[in-house]
Amino acid sequence: MELGTIEREIYIEASPDIVFQVVSDPNHVKQWWPDEASYEPVAGSAGEIRFAHADGGKIEGFTVVDLQPPTRFSFRWTHPVVEEAATGNSLLVTFELVPKGEGTLVRFRETGFRERGWEAAVLERQYQDHVHGWDYFLPRLISYAATLDARP
Amino acid sequence: MSAHVDDKLWSAIGDPTRRQMLDLLLAAGSGTATSLSEQLPVTRQAVAKHLTVLHRVGLVRGEIDGRERTYRIDDAQFARALAQLNAVSTAWDSRLRRVKRLAEALQQAEKKES
Repeated sequence: MELGTIEREIYIEASPDIVFQVVSDPNHVKQWWPDEASYEPVAGSAGEIRFAHADGGKIEGFTVVDLQPPTRFSFRWTHPVVEEAATGNSLLVTFELVPKGEGTLVRFRETGFRERGWEAAVLERQYQDHVHGWDYFLPRLISYAATLDARP
Repeated sequence: MSAHVDDKLWSAIGDPTRRQMLDLLLAAGSGTATSLSEQLPVTRQAVAKHLTVLHRVGLVRGEIDGRERTYRIDDAQFARALAQLNAVSTAWDSRLRRVKRLAEALQQAEKKES
């Protein structure tokens, strides 16, 4: 059961074929997300994505789960490259593409936070940067938390 | 902080009644199980249980004040919880904006060619 989820919808003025290429082809993916992306755009392909940082960078596992051009692309990431991606060691991302008018409606979903827990490094960095008051954060917390199917 | 503790923090903040309680505590500065239950459609006992959950993950601190325990938000821990929520959601917002820009530029280029 997935208990923590991010969901977004975004309208793109481009055909589903083009949008599908952009979200799934590693050559495109590295233009909007990691610095390097190595995987085959084939269901089951296990690869990795790399992020270059001043401190040596980071490598995350990346495994294609489902690839149905031009309507659906899903993958798992954040697992160690040497491990097989599964519930509990990775987050599941799904892009659903729906033709709308001249363009494409993209439904994005990322699940698996509760199973995986949170990265202490991200937490620490964010916390160090945290200088905002509650007036700023509270409305965001409420609206964001409302999207979570979280249970006590 | 371990992933395990983070997970509990997430779970604590995932409940709508507990979020309302945090809201009320932020607005008023402090509250007791009695004062919070007066502002919520749940019993004092239920509020007391929720306060225990929030206390266990460090989101609130309690002090004995007369007959009842008075609770306040723990600012540092609350900031951590917010930062977690914020980090993941805003990261995807900016990635999706880049997907949109890239796809629309490719579409424009294709139109010009044909």
